[in-house]
Amino acid sequence: MFPSLISSYASRCRWTCKPVLVLAFLSLLLLWSVPAQAHKVTIFAWVEGDMVHTQSKFSGGKRVKNAPVQVYDAQGRKLLEGRTDDRGEFTFKSPGKGPLRIVLIAAMGHKAYWTLSAKELAGSAQPSATASPPQTAPVVEKPSTADSTPAASALSNAELQATVQKAVEKALDKKLKPVIELLVDAQNPDPSFKDIVGGLGYILGLVGVGAYFNYRRRGMGPDAK
Amino acid sequence: MHISEGVLSGPVLVSGAALAAAGTAMGLKSLDYDHVARAGILSAAFFVASLIHVPIGPSSVHLILNGVVGLLLGWAAFPVILVALLLQAVLFQFGGITTLGVNTIIMALPAVVCYYLFRSLIHRRRAVGLTAAFACGSLAVLGSALLAAAALVFTEQNFLQIAGLIIAAHLPVMIIEGIVTAFCVRFLQKVQPDMLPGTPAVADTTTY
Repeated sequence: MFPSLISSYASRCRWTCKPVLVLAFLSLLLLWSVPAQAHKVTIFAWVEGDMVHTQSKFSGGKRVKNAPVQVYDAQGRKLLEGRTDDRGEFTFKSPGKGPLRIVLIAAMGHKAYWTLSAKELAGSAQPSATASPPQTAPVVEKPSTADSTPAASALSNAELQATVQKAVEKALDKKLKPVIELLVDAQNPDPSFKDIVGGLGYILGLVGVGAYFNYRRRGMGPDAK
Repeated sequence: MHISEGVLSGPVLVSGAALAAAGTAMGLKSLDYDHVARAGILSAAFFVASLIHVPIGPSSVHLILNGVVGLLLGWAAFPVILVALLLQAVLFQFGGITTLGVNTIIMALPAVVCYYLFRSLIHRRRAVGLTAAFACGSLAVLGSALLAAAALVFTEQNFLQIAGLIIAAHLPVMIIEGIVTAFCVRFLQKVQPDMLPGTPAVADTTTY
């Protein structure tokens, strides 16, 4: 049996290597934990075209499946509600105006929030809001000589601009997708080695404080006469 | 097992914090200076254990180790777990500052209960002692699951459903922690028996 084997070994070298064994056990625990995954949920939302995408996961990358997602506006009114799919994603049509507060309710007392600002959502509210006919259009659009009246040309320019804008936005969404995916992944960093060692150091410091008072109490400290 | 911020209602948070404060006071009173180092080691172990993820089951769960902490520390498990949970909240964003009290109760109270239940049983003959140690580890997790469900009742209304969900998710953890606890107790019986509760106090002063 494995435990008894180790412990019989331990009892044999009881006085010599006890601290070594304890240290080995602790460092084993630490090493074991380095590819760490754990218990936290996050939700991240981004705008693509006129849709809002959300992705939810536990820290460690496991997706949160079939969990309710609620969307609230700035006044705290619930706008819509849905559930994450098997990939932890939930997509809904942008209500146009922000800010939106997106709440993920994972099981067992886990909850996460993400806020989409009005600025991020502004892009999704086109085309009617942003594509107002610009005044400088006729100057820019020189080669439109085929059309006869200036009014018709201005109209088509406005249309053209709207089309171009739409196309650019579409292309940008496509180009930015990998970047957004990188951002999604970066939203949810696992505890780093620094965090772990920092926490252990903090505990060590508390033990040090305890030891300090212990020695002071016994009159064995460095200041003791 | 860490309950996030914004899930529980105010009264639950406040009463959790009050109970945790009382438990911590008890723990600090029972923790004499000679055991500070042991408390520190166990706090470190508890702090790191939450990073050990158990990839079985529908949800995301991790080791808790509150059975071992309780068995070796008794009431001092409260301050030890409080410190580790605070660090987990700050550094890992597990749980949260407002839910610190509730989370402390969830994990420390079963630890203390297990201390009283099993402190003498683990010194029985081999099989009984090992079984007691296993039960100590897994029942502490079970107790935590039940307490977490109880805390969530006020927001989710259905105790049996939540409790079933949490216990189902933590079944693998219960088994693993039972084994880890049995291993630890066996190891300490061979190497450092005076660390275990209920051993003659004489050993405590001579070996330290």
